[in-house]
Amino acid sequence: MNNTTSDATAPAYNRSRQAREAETLLDRIQDDFPDNPQAMRYFYDLFRNVYCQGEPVKHEGTLVGTTCIHAPEELIYAFGATPVRLCNGSYHYDQIGADFMPAKSCPLVKATLGSLHAKAAVPNTAALELIVNPTTCDQKTKASAMIEAMGYKVHDLELPPAKESEEARLYWQRSVRRLALRLRELTGRKLTRSNLKTAMARTARAQTAFRTLHQLRKSAPALFLGKDAFLVTNAYFFDDLDRWTAAVEQLNTELQLRQMEGFQAAQKRAPRILFTGSPPIFPNLKLPLLIEEAGGVVVADETCSANRMLYDMTAVDEWLLNDMVDGLADRYLKPCTCPIFTRNDDRQRRLLQLAADFNVDGVVYQAFAGCQVYEMEYRSIADVLAAQGIPMLYVETDYSPDDMGQLSTRIEAFLESIKTRKRNKQ
Amino acid sequence: MKRIRDAVNGVDLRRFRFWLQLFFFVLLVYGGYMAVNLGQYLPTFACGFNDEGRGGICYLLPLQHQLAMSWGTLFGWAGLMVLQGFLFFALWFFVLNKGWCGYVCPLGTIQDWITSLRTRLGIRYSRYTEGQFRRLSLIKYLLLALMILIPLGIGGALLPHDMGTPFCDICPGRMIIPMFTGDFSQLTIDFSSKTTMVMTALGMLVTGLFLAGAFFKKRFFCFFCPMSALHYLLSKPALLKLKKDGAKCTRCGDCYRVCDMEIREIADEVKEPRIMQDDCILCLKCVAHCPEQGALKATFAGIPIFESTEQGFIKRMTKGHKDEQHHE
Repeated sequence: MNNTTSDATAPAYNRSRQAREAETLLDRIQDDFPDNPQAMRYFYDLFRNVYCQGEPVKHEGTLVGTTCIHAPEELIYAFGATPVRLCNGSYHYDQIGADFMPAKSCPLVKATLGSLHAKAAVPNTAALELIVNPTTCDQKTKASAMIEAMGYKVHDLELPPAKESEEARLYWQRSVRRLALRLRELTGRKLTRSNLKTAMARTARAQTAFRTLHQLRKSAPALFLGKDAFLVTNAYFFDDLDRWTAAVEQLNTELQLRQMEGFQAAQKRAPRILFTGSPPIFPNLKLPLLIEEAGGVVVADETCSANRMLYDMTAVDEWLLNDMVDGLADRYLKPCTCPIFTRNDDRQRRLLQLAADFNVDGVVYQAFAGCQVYEMEYRSIADVLAAQGIPMLYVETDYSPDDMGQLSTRIEAFLESIKTRKRNKQ
Repeated sequence: MKRIRDAVNGVDLRRFRFWLQLFFFVLLVYGGYMAVNLGQYLPTFACGFNDEGRGGICYLLPLQHQLAMSWGTLFGWAGLMVLQGFLFFALWFFVLNKGWCGYVCPLGTIQDWITSLRTRLGIRYSRYTEGQFRRLSLIKYLLLALMILIPLGIGGALLPHDMGTPFCDICPGRMIIPMFTGDFSQLTIDFSSKTTMVMTALGMLVTGLFLAGAFFKKRFFCFFCPMSALHYLLSKPALLKLKKDGAKCTRCGDCYRVCDMEIREIADEVKEPRIMQDDCILCLKCVAHCPEQGALKATFAGIPIFESTEQGFIKRMTKGHKDEQHHE
């Protein structure tokens, strides 16, 4: 299975399996919902071009792949390189990657391996000159050597397994400095105060745009749907940073107008859902999409393909290289609510705060079958939410479309129970 | 009202502090020339040895004098006078809490100026390790205890009288602050007796350490300051307070990394709303660098006066990205 010679005889890309996988999804995202924001067209077209037509993704300078949100993108940009996030959501690549990993492993890791192994993978980026692989979960850690065996250059960005202690913080700061050295070697450029400042300003502007969008989603009734929000943040994986930011700023302007006009993207009583757990990555947006097709609305999330990737911002006290680099390191470690760390108090508190801020009626917890850390945190999260009287639906799933029918039944039942609760409260 | 609030929360704290600190510096170091006299109970290093320029006197000077009275006097009626002095000191302190350190203290301001000189030279700061921090943090209590016990010992004739005001002898303020009014007379070793020789030599050493330390470590001296220790013991009823809403905190650590005093609790503590620790100088940089709406706030008599906001944070960071004052 793992030989890709079949690629030679494969049909034109736009008739291939992964193109159809993407196209079906985009059709649902666009056509199943009325009144999509005009500014979303940029993102719909982007995904159609990249995923359905297989058009190449343009970039500047050296292309550096990253396999987790822990790789500080500002550093990569500062060296004149461009990061592209490799975490993959395609069932097609999941199947190819299955050859590398044990049967019960995470589809995200398998799909990432699969896409790296496949020729002419989508998104169609230029050749990756380096892959930065943060040593997060076991599966990603072990994937490192496999990726190297495929012929890529890999930099293991060593991440501590705990984040509370000062030792962990300092260890991570050193790790990030080592990445800077590796990037200097790779690009032949120097890290200077001004190029890092410029890079940090670009990312901060993107984060500001994201935060504005995030805050707009507090509005009740809902102004904006989760399926579009995930598409927006998924585009961040590979899109040009400044173009992405401009598109989001435009979207925010449109949403602010809609807010003044009293626009409703969902019914007034539509259950407001907080999405947590394994990250929805295009084209695997099946769960958020099912929720919204069933009449719910995803108003916020706590996942590494959206909120966790873009929300937290870097603070700097003295704009000298050392403080900026350490500040970046802190931002990529300290607020992170990834379940790989020893404790998950921060994740619990973040979920409760999001639930309160966004007036949430229920939580949907997605755990990819094989993503052990999320599976292991299920109980503690369920207990904390139950103590606050917030209902939660735990869904174990993967990238295959087989469980779609079963899932949609469960989601409908969950949303129905929330509606009943709300009615009884009144 | 909301607009005023937004403007305050979006303030450029660095600039605001610079000017306010300069104002208080002039008031306390040169106020004497303008006939300012705030009395001798100030809870901050308005050095009394700065004879001509002082706009008030640091309470530690009269306190040590008073405690060195003979025990007969001290534990008699004169004791009431000491208590009265302490009361005035406490009343001054209650207004600003440790804000006296972050905004008023001339020695603190001098250290901030030295820090700003360092950053302009492009030299990085140093930090303590966590273990060092925890041990060093205790020194100020030791100094406070000595500052009280030595004068008491003198009063009881257990110690030589020429130890006088022991903390002032070793305080860098005594040598440095009078220099701002052209008085370099404190910068000498007093050879009149063995004790004075040792104490003034120690004072010279501490002053040297102060200047060198402050260059590499933000607010170097404040870790050891006995005034800070005394402040903390009285801080509970103070009007200006630093509060944290732990539920809103993401523990991103932004506040901790900008903290001059390296106070970890500001980031890590999420249960106790009264977040001010003993080393805190209430500079409010943590509030300015917190991106979470209302997670940190300064209140005065229960009324919020400065609060962390997303907009304020973004504004201040954007300014940092653009600021070209630090040349390449």
